[in-house]
Amino acid sequence: MLPDLLIALTMLSNFSLVATSRVAKAIQFAVLQGVLLGLMPLAMGLGRHFHIILLAIAAVAVKGWLIPFLFRRALKQVHIQREVDPYIGYTVSLMLCALGTGLSLLLAHNLPLKPGTEYVLMVPASLATLFTGFLLLVSRRKALTQVVGYLVLENGIYLFGLLLVEDMPALVEAGILLDLFVGIFVMGIVINHIRVAFDSTDTRHLAELKD
Amino acid sequence: MLDVALVLASSGCWFAGALASASPRAPERLATGLGLLGSLFALGAALHLLLGGAVSGLDFRVWGLPARLELDALSAAFLLPLHLVGGLGLIYGQRYWPVQLAWGSGRSLRFFYGLLVAAMTLLFLARHGLVFLVAWELMAVSAFFLVGTEHEKPEVRRASWVYLACTHTGTLLLTAMVILMAQRMGGLQWTALPASTSPWFEGGILFLALAGFGFKAGVLPLHFWLPSAHASAPSHVSAILSAVMLKTGIYGILRVSSLLPGIPRGVGGTLLALGALTALYGVGNALAQRDYKRLLAYSSIENLGIIAMGVGLGWTGRATHDPWLMALGFGGAIFHVWNHALFKSLLFYGAGALLHATGTRDMEALGGLARRMPRTALVVFPAVLAVAALPPFNAFLSEWFLYRGLFASLGRGYPWSAALGLVALALAGGLAAVAFARFFGTLFLGAPRSELADHAHDPAASMLLPMAVLAGLCLAVGLGAFLLLPLLDRVIAAAAPGTPALLAAGLRVDFHRLAGVELGLLALVGAGLAWLRRSPEAPEADLPTWDCGYAAAVARAQYTGSSFADAWAPVQPGLRARRPRLRGLFPGGASFRQAFREPFGEVFLEPRVVRVAERLLRFRRFQQGHLPVYLLYVLLTLLGTFLWMLLRGRLLG
Repeated sequence: MLPDLLIALTMLSNFSLVATSRVAKAIQFAVLQGVLLGLMPLAMGLGRHFHIILLAIAAVAVKGWLIPFLFRRALKQVHIQREVDPYIGYTVSLMLCALGTGLSLLLAHNLPLKPGTEYVLMVPASLATLFTGFLLLVSRRKALTQVVGYLVLENGIYLFGLLLVEDMPALVEAGILLDLFVGIFVMGIVINHIRVAFDSTDTRHLAELKD
Repeated sequence: MLDVALVLASSGCWFAGALASASPRAPERLATGLGLLGSLFALGAALHLLLGGAVSGLDFRVWGLPARLELDALSAAFLLPLHLVGGLGLIYGQRYWPVQLAWGSGRSLRFFYGLLVAAMTLLFLARHGLVFLVAWELMAVSAFFLVGTEHEKPEVRRASWVYLACTHTGTLLLTAMVILMAQRMGGLQWTALPASTSPWFEGGILFLALAGFGFKAGVLPLHFWLPSAHASAPSHVSAILSAVMLKTGIYGILRVSSLLPGIPRGVGGTLLALGALTALYGVGNALAQRDYKRLLAYSSIENLGIIAMGVGLGWTGRATHDPWLMALGFGGAIFHVWNHALFKSLLFYGAGALLHATGTRDMEALGGLARRMPRTALVVFPAVLAVAALPPFNAFLSEWFLYRGLFASLGRGYPWSAALGLVALALAGGLAAVAFARFFGTLFLGAPRSELADHAHDPAASMLLPMAVLAGLCLAVGLGAFLLLPLLDRVIAAAAPGTPALLAAGLRVDFHRLAGVELGLLALVGAGLAWLRRSPEAPEADLPTWDCGYAAAVARAQYTGSSFADAWAPVQPGLRARRPRLRGLFPGGASFRQAFREPFGEVFLEPRVVRVAERLLRFRRFQQGHLPVYLLYVLLTLLGTFLWMLLRGRLLG
């Protein structure tokens, strides 16, 4: 019951993410999604495994505190405008996101799951989150919003990993978390460098670097 | 156990030496010492094994799966030249390419040299597909950096890139071969294959091995990277590339074929014919070169062709269950691997000494160096005789093996390939004599053709010493070859399991007699020289050569190397000459031009590759430089994969 609620909230936050026009809001939604997913293992009743609790705490800490902190610092440093500034309009994005969600439902329907798996919504939700992340990455112009897309993409992968959490070694999940953190950290540095080099954080300027 | 551990330690020593030479703190002596220590370890272990030690192996696990390093006679046979030439090259390179050179390539050269030797040592031990491929790639990549040592020159960059493309194509084929073998053997561990029901499978492995290893060995259509790569590398690197790295291709072919249950009969004959063509092609083009290092590289192609002929002969013997033919074929191939390593590295060291002293690779700018560099001329001369397969030097004997084998197979009903092989071997030997008469005559004899030769001088002792060692070995192997016969028997038994030891029994008497005759000849020559020295009637006069009464004899009027080789123009397919037509009694000024283009690589392949590359340019459109576009590609691929998974069941039923 509780996991299904969390999954539904995750999928709803996907739609909010693509529809919002403010950078700060997009970040808040991504963080919210991360925290929701961080709580997932506990909601799934996996509290008896010590390493899973540890991982859940780490995930919530990284996604709910460390990453927003980095974002806030980046926002302050680069004096970003508040518009998201997409390539694709909000309505079209919303429709694409809906299309992706529908497609993932269709796909998950066709993917055979291990018999006895309780959470049938988990796979479609993770695929939908993945697609949303990609959509954000592709359709947003500012480097910072692209980082948000990356974060959402990682959320999708994390959700997929939860399906196997009991069998997966803790090392793998810790690796994903570390990867996420390093990714965001490096991107923050890159954003700063783009701004210094081109006096803007618009990634279109990066095209000048091609050979 | 001890032997393989020693060889492994040797690889470790070379690797440590490479690391030490990369750091600016460590003294150069440390790196050199480590490398030499490694060479001593490996030489000791290989000799111990060849002289009668047992096969030793080391088992360990890669990702939970068993893997094995093993030192058997075949590995030892290739470790010997590797560590001999590797160690001598290390000594030679100290003065040839000082570490303090202005452009700072000395350190990277030493690092990759050490890495190359370490990787090849590991390669010869590996009995596991993955370990083998890793060592192979490590070797190929370090050779790439070595070839590109002087990367500030455009032609060197070009040569190294062509080499890299070729070696990676070869690795691709070898990867496919390793996968096929793994399917057949049930794991990446290399074990002997059982006799199979599907000849296609073995045929596939054999074909992939021939193509993949053939790229490295420079067998005919796959040789085109070799001349420019060897000419561009520093000379002691050219020596190890030519003396050992090309031979890793031969090693691979022998190793993989030793695991197969049988070789189809036609394959041996085909390889024999291919080797014969390679030998002729190599020597013909060697005749046409003005660049003396390129000449040596083409001569390497010739010798690799001869080695391939030996392997082909051995395979023919294996297919027809003829142990004598196997012994002569494989024995000749392995023996020629050793001999070629000895004389070709000596020739490359000699070429390096010339390059060091004069700064040019153009033969026609030099001449008369025997007076200015007498010691170099003295130590290079044995190698010139050896490469022309003249007694009493070593290569004469390995070609003797092949002649014996080819004549034997003529009598046993494989006439076409054997007849072709005999003609090709004889012709290649003769042409090699011409090519190296030209090499020695143009460089060392006559009068200097330009002022570049004026200030030439003998190199330092640390460069001369390795050359002298190699020259001595060339002669010693030529005279003492009967001692090597039992060693060769052991190697053949490893290369083709189940062969009885025949060489020691079959050829010992012949070799004793040969050595006796050669010693007699040497004594005669020595006595003649002594008599000439002592006789008072020969006054030492510093007069010019008799010039047929021509009034103004100048250095420009000498035979050039090209005019010397002109009579053999029909066998030099890459040479294009524009000859002036002279008419009348007093013709005016005229000029003669000659240019060489690699017949296969530059004339045939290059325009085609350029055309394909131009067609591929249209894909540049996909490189937009926008990150979102790239991510879109990823997304589309992902979606496409998902859709395919979704629809596959419906579409394919």
